[in-house]
Amino acid sequence: MAEAVSDKIKNYKTAPFDARFPNTNQTRNCFQNYLDFHRCNKALSAKGQEVSPCEWYQKVYKSLCPMSWVSKWDEQIENGSFPGKI
Amino acid sequence: PLPVRKQQIYTDLQQLLLLHSKLKKENLIPLFIFISGGATMSVLALTRAALKNPDVSWDHKNNPEPWNKMEPNQQYKLLAVNMDYSKLKKDRPDF
Repeated sequence: MAEAVSDKIKNYKTAPFDARFPNTNQTRNCFQNYLDFHRCNKALSAKGQEVSPCEWYQKVYKSLCPMSWVSKWDEQIENGSFPGKI
Repeated sequence: PLPVRKQQIYTDLQQLLLLHSKLKKENLIPLFIFISGGATMSVLALTRAALKNPDVSWDHKNNPEPWNKMEPNQQYKLLAVNMDYSKLKKDRPDF
């Protein structure tokens, strides 16, 4: 599974179609992948595993999200004022 | 007996109905069919959106992110053009 994931990360072109967000408005897609990246990091490091599979979510949100949103959320996470549940 | 003007209008109407004898209520039936069909479809669409839409969560405590419960090849749209849902697979890493 880890090899398949690292292969997918190496061959990454762009964010794939996500059946959860089939319409034009991809805002939630962006936010969900941002959340999933941080949740994945938190979960895998709590289990003591490598967090390299989480890179997939980072690549997807970097493809989808406006940079201003990403930098704003990163600041909020550093401040501790991030509104999402991680 | 009505005043003269109203009597005139009344007989005009009778003549109108005599000449155009098809002015009956039954002719409105197709209108009622389309109106009731449209009303039914709109109510059904609203209830489908309220119950099945993955963006809708009525119970925030037990169902906080309902869109995450969708399968990778599950289709919510009624009509999806150029999207073969049967070929989709899960492509996100687990954690």
